[in-house]
Amino acid sequence: MEVPLREPTFLILAALAAAPMHGYGLITEVARLSDGRISLRPGTLYGALDRLVDADLVHVDREEVVDGRLRRYYRLAGPGRDLLAAETERMRRNVEAATLRLGAAKTRPRLSGGLA
Amino acid sequence: MSPAGPDHATAELERRYARWTALFYPADYRRRRGSELVDTYLSLASPGRRRPSVADVADLAAGGLRQRLRIAEDLAPAFQLAGLLALMTATALAAGWATSQVPARLGVVMWAPWLLAAVVHVAAPGRWYRRAAGLGVLATAGVVPIAMLTGLPRPPLSVLLPQFVLGVVALGAATRHPWWVRLMPMGAAAVSVPVIAGSAPDPEFFIGSYWYAAAVLPAAATALLIGATLLAFGLAARRDPRGLWALLILVTPIGMLAVVPLGAMLDDTGPGRPIIPTWSSMVIASVLVAAAGPALVSLGLAARRRELT
Repeated sequence: MEVPLREPTFLILAALAAAPMHGYGLITEVARLSDGRISLRPGTLYGALDRLVDADLVHVDREEVVDGRLRRYYRLAGPGRDLLAAETERMRRNVEAATLRLGAAKTRPRLSGGLA
Repeated sequence: MSPAGPDHATAELERRYARWTALFYPADYRRRRGSELVDTYLSLASPGRRRPSVADVADLAAGGLRQRLRIAEDLAPAFQLAGLLALMTATALAAGWATSQVPARLGVVMWAPWLLAAVVHVAAPGRWYRRAAGLGVLATAGVVPIAMLTGLPRPPLSVLLPQFVLGVVALGAATRHPWWVRLMPMGAAAVSVPVIAGSAPDPEFFIGSYWYAAAVLPAAATALLIGATLLAFGLAARRDPRGLWALLILVTPIGMLAVVPLGAMLDDTGPGRPIIPTWSSMVIASVLVAAAGPALVSLGLAARRRELT
């Protein structure tokens, strides 16, 4: 799987980190985690899930039949959990570095400026 | 009067989603995922809705297209790897032939684009490399009519055909590998010069002769086969299927390089196995290789498609 992960992929893994979920559950959880910014559609979601299952990051947990239709639950596999942890750590470091620099910029006195 | 109510609306919506899914997605994928996909669309649909939204239809179209392209997409890194190995072999052979055939002018003009392609592969591995490798392929194919028109001696078809097939596969090497990987074709050329020149006869007496190709080409086939196999197993150990696909893609050029021993196996015109088989046996061997190599890749793709869906 290509790293850094794209945001929807990262959020799918993050959603599955808590509990196994089916397609609809994943879509609503990704929307909730991203404050409604990312609204996945089923065609896009299953494309991403196919790649994640192929890469052994996500496994099928169980299947149910509801109203005559198949509902498949997915869970985060060990390598998926490791990748999510590594990506979270990478982003945390970026956030720390950026926060530090923003703080330094606020406290640093201005060396030059206009007359006004 | 048509039946009404939420159940009827849902059934109608389900039927329409199923119809759009059937239109866009491959049949085998639909059999496995169709019901799950429709269930998710229905869960997201607002109550009373009877038709899929335009955005949902666009999503189904994009998802179906992605699914159809997915197998080819997965193979792109394998084509790049096979391309690199083919370019290394093509350049090594071109350098060897060029230096051991210096006085045969037509041969040198033909091999030069391959050496140029190896240099361009280091400096500009994208579009410019593809143009240089394309020139090599054209020069390899074009030397036959040029020789017919000018009467100049040309390398035999048993040398040109593997070079042409290697060249076509080498077009896939057009990608930005790390610099040390991009230097590999030039390295292979530098190593091959003393090896091929060492097995060549004295050019003063055998100008334009390629009879030693009967030994050089199978040796190149063996080297490529061993190299690609080791790489395939090494990558497979890291759960990377690229090498196995690259090996499958390289079956055709490897077979073309080994056309002399393969032809000798088919040649039953006399007792024992001939060193240089008859022309007809070599043609049969080439045709078999040209059919078997792509057939193996097609079988692999079909198996992969079944595995994905």
